[in-house]
Amino acid sequence: MHERLSFYVKRNSVIHDLNPLTKVILTLALILIAFTSPWYWTPHLLVLVAIIPLSFIGKVAPEFFRTAIRIILPAAGFLFLMQAFFQPVGDTVIFKFYFLDVTQESLMFAFRNATRVIVMVSAFTFMLLTTHPSELMSDLTRRGLPGQFAYVIISTLQILPQMQAKAQTIISAQRSRGLDTESSFLKRMGSLSPLIGPLVFGSLAEVEERAIAIEARGFTSKKVKTSLHEIPDHSSDKIIRWGLVILVILSIALNLWPS
Amino acid sequence: MKIEINNLRFTYPTGLEALRGISLTIEAGEQVAIVGQNGAGKTTLVRHFNGLLQPTVGSVLIGDWDTKKYSVAKLASRVGYVFQNPDEQLFSKDVGTEVRFGPRNLGYSKEKIDELVTRALALTELSNKTETNPYDLSPTWRKMVALASVIAMDTPIVIFDEPTTGQDAVNVARIAHVIAKLRREGKTVVTITHDIDFCAENFERVIALASGQVLLDGPAREILGQEEILAQTYVDPPQLTRLGKKLGFKETVRSQEEFLNSLKNSIDASQSK
Repeated sequence: MHERLSFYVKRNSVIHDLNPLTKVILTLALILIAFTSPWYWTPHLLVLVAIIPLSFIGKVAPEFFRTAIRIILPAAGFLFLMQAFFQPVGDTVIFKFYFLDVTQESLMFAFRNATRVIVMVSAFTFMLLTTHPSELMSDLTRRGLPGQFAYVIISTLQILPQMQAKAQTIISAQRSRGLDTESSFLKRMGSLSPLIGPLVFGSLAEVEERAIAIEARGFTSKKVKTSLHEIPDHSSDKIIRWGLVILVILSIALNLWPS
Repeated sequence: MKIEINNLRFTYPTGLEALRGISLTIEAGEQVAIVGQNGAGKTTLVRHFNGLLQPTVGSVLIGDWDTKKYSVAKLASRVGYVFQNPDEQLFSKDVGTEVRFGPRNLGYSKEKIDELVTRALALTELSNKTETNPYDLSPTWRKMVALASVIAMDTPIVIFDEPTTGQDAVNVARIAHVIAKLRREGKTVVTITHDIDFCAENFERVIALASGQVLLDGPAREILGQEEILAQTYVDPPQLTRLGKKLGFKETVRSQEEFLNSLKNSIDASQSK
């Protein structure tokens, strides 16, 4: 009932007040620069001087670091190890592990790639933490994103917690009928069908009801729709967006520059 | 079987304190209706009876069992619980199998299961629908399947969570009939309901909850007469009770029969003057 629908954390900050599109462009710009900049240390710098400070400005630092430590760092660490061991580049061998050579070059390479992934995932995390999904979608639909697309994203975010709550009720109902869900693995496997049946039927029925409900409000109508909720788009947003676009173009240009 | 609730408090993980010190005893064979506005704690309270929720403070005893010491599956042999929405529990391909599920979980012998299932199906008027898929039945009949599937477990205590919500008059009468039958068998019945007429006509004892505490508890006749106090938890006494009050009847009336009797008495009294 009180489930969070998304990563979004409601706070009052400059970042929260930015237009959702600005935050999307910021995220994409960070990723593109991290991947295209010719300078080796760019991704690392982006994390240190852009993403981490931004998470403080956006007042979501605690949540940001929690996600980073739980999900982003382990994934990036794994990627680093894989690439360090299996990347056959360079010949400055630092140490051997059976048949695997770890070279200085492969380490450098792995370090940069892992950091690029950190930039990618943490930039997205930062955007999701500071942007309400339905605000993002209504802003993008207003700018011409097809409503169907927005519906798929939003309904997925909403259906998951609802299904979770529903599954909880079903489990309670069947346990009340003496279903043992706490004992051996085999017994628990056997108790799956009383849980899945109602969940699947119920969810299908809900999908149909939802479709009827939104269609009753003219979902597929071609007319331009007004919105109850105006999402502000200041001129500062536009300046930031164009500034970011120029930075990305610069980064790509430098990358393509014959050096 | 007796239910004993001692100074029960319950706080949800979200920090919401849903029950704030409830002490009650429900005797074996009593028929109790629990009323109160949404969020008063009715469902939270009855979910403690079969261990779905565990007290934050205090204790709940079902007979001699403390619910803290027994699993829900174990408590299911003493407390049957009919959930509000039948679609959240029906999964079998036919009504017969669905109704067998509960008693089979309780480990009764095959003969006993057969007997219990046949009785439960007869009581809920489903005997001619045993082969039907529950999802081919109308919602009202699905409700009866849910009732049958819990009654077949033959538990000494049966809980109904809003049994009459969304039901037509015919089915409400069927449900009342089921509850009357359980009463004759000596079972304890606890029902959460918003249907105050149903409550007045079928229950001897009424407990009114308001924000996690017992507001009123006593014989239905007494409780339903306390219009002002009931208003605190957004419960209106039945129309006939209110009309009786307006007409100045001395006793609180609960059913059409009682109303007509009181009306007759007051007419007689005024004529003999």
